[in-house]
Amino acid sequence: MAPGLAGYLVRRLLWAIPVLLVLSFLVFALIRAAPGDPVDTLLGDRYNEEAAERLREQYGYDQPIPRQYLTYMGNLLRGDLGVSTRYTDFSAAEIVLPRVWVSTQLGVMALIIAFAIGIPVGIYAALARGTFLDPLTISFWLAIDAVPVFVAIPVLQYVFVIQLGLFDLSWEGVWHPNIILPVAIMSLPGIAGIARFMRASIISVMTEDYVRTAHAKGLRNRTVVMTHITRNAMLPMITVIGLALPGLATGSLFVELFFGIPGIAREALEAILHPDYDVILFLVLFGSTLFVLANIAVDLLYGVIDPRVRVGQARGG
Amino acid sequence: MAALVYLALFYGAGLFAPLVATHDPNQGQLQVEHRLQSPSSGHWLGTDVQGRDIYSRVIYAARTTLLFTAAVILTGGLVLGLGLGLLAGYKGGWVDTAIMRVGEVLAGVPTLLLILAIAAVFRARIGDFAFWLRQNTFLGDEARTLLEFIIIVGATVPFAWVGTSRIVRSQALAIRESDFVLAAELIGASTWRILTRHILPGVLPLFVVGLSSGMAAIAGTEVALSFLGLGVSPPTSSFGTIISEGAQIRTFQAYPHVLLGAAMPIILFFFAWNLLGDALVDLLEPRTSTR
Repeated sequence: MAPGLAGYLVRRLLWAIPVLLVLSFLVFALIRAAPGDPVDTLLGDRYNEEAAERLREQYGYDQPIPRQYLTYMGNLLRGDLGVSTRYTDFSAAEIVLPRVWVSTQLGVMALIIAFAIGIPVGIYAALARGTFLDPLTISFWLAIDAVPVFVAIPVLQYVFVIQLGLFDLSWEGVWHPNIILPVAIMSLPGIAGIARFMRASIISVMTEDYVRTAHAKGLRNRTVVMTHITRNAMLPMITVIGLALPGLATGSLFVELFFGIPGIAREALEAILHPDYDVILFLVLFGSTLFVLANIAVDLLYGVIDPRVRVGQARGG
Repeated sequence: MAALVYLALFYGAGLFAPLVATHDPNQGQLQVEHRLQSPSSGHWLGTDVQGRDIYSRVIYAARTTLLFTAAVILTGGLVLGLGLGLLAGYKGGWVDTAIMRVGEVLAGVPTLLLILAIAAVFRARIGDFAFWLRQNTFLGDEARTLLEFIIIVGATVPFAWVGTSRIVRSQALAIRESDFVLAAELIGASTWRILTRHILPGVLPLFVVGLSSGMAAIAGTEVALSFLGLGVSPPTSSFGTIISEGAQIRTFQAYPHVLLGAAMPIILFFFAWNLLGDALVDLLEPRTSTR
């Protein structure tokens, strides 16, 4: 790694810290500004002023917000991520992590399917360039991408569950045929973007001299496409994959809602609607940190692949 | 081309909703014989569970989409996306770093989660304010709708400018190295003049492409929020609310027209924007064009 690159990396990471701090404080204050607090939810029907006061004191919600924030951050540094107020007896991490794991597994499967379809589709469209098949293929996947998931889900559930009876809607864990439908629905919208990117990448490689050379020396078309074109065209795909990675852990809200999947997106919505402060904050911090890291990784790879992108240099003169 | 025509129709319908609609979108007829009717000559897309004309509700939903996207484009797209992108790309240095790092985090947080949180928190707070507005201004029942609108726009905008500003920045970054910018700097042109006269024209095409490829996502945010009951609330019509009424699996089984009547126009809308975005990218990158 070049020295400039290492410095750049350190600068980026140092920038991430204050920004994450500001963001976490804003979210911290935001969720506390909502009317109603975890104590209301916690007590439910048994609500009375006295018990509520006592609980607020116990959780520290009676303190001023900046003070609560400092306490939270202090605990965070000691590795204590707070407690859930909806599931008493559980810490925020115990609520979040198993659900993140469920969402991540589904997300990885969906991503693999999306790339497994998107990349060949992109190659196909690029090779079919100049014929009507190229725009037709891309338009088809753009049309699929245009269907909101909350429209696709009831229609597909109706066809596959009610009419064909292939699956049912119960959650039986990740390794059960019932997840085929939700994973398929999660993967479909991303295919258009991947295919389009791959197509553009292939086309820009196709006109390279080494491809012409390969054709000229009489290599079979298939060999040229596979080894000379596709392999080089895959390089820029690193960006797409890198930027998709953190999204894996955040889950697909509508899929989780409709299919009753105990994933993180559904949990997040619940935690927002029936405020569970520490769970929301943990989710936001967790998600943001993943994204920031992935962004830095992609930027670095950009710099490695294309030295013309002079990352992080201030303007001289 | 077809995409452009459809978008024109869609926005036209939204703009002139009172003229295009055949019924009052909010006036239902609760008698059994008027509810959940299949499409007919009287109700082109049938009626919903409250006996309201779905076609007219769809037309007014297009108006909601129109207002929402216009508000987000003007604030998040033009002011923040274009403005901050130009500034970051041309100025460089700490200005660039600050803008891009903030953008990075905003693009990096689980966007939907935060939009949901913002919308949920502020929605719960608007009751009193809406009441005050109703008492003290000319606004009547629209007060609440207006506030809800401000909330969902306000919740979306912080996350809507980042993509565009990145595109603008990278283009501005390339242009500022060109000789004509250097020449302008040497004769002492102001930053504002250089930005608007020399860099903006070169950036504009990419900005338009960036916007158009983001349009479906922006409009989709409102639809998703309303679907979850966190966007505009009934009786105001939105594709999200109509779809959510028709998306229950049993409802869909018995009365598919509720879901499909609202879903087809918005799917075509997203599709048209997707196609348009694709075509614009081709125009800028003739090397990879489909035509």
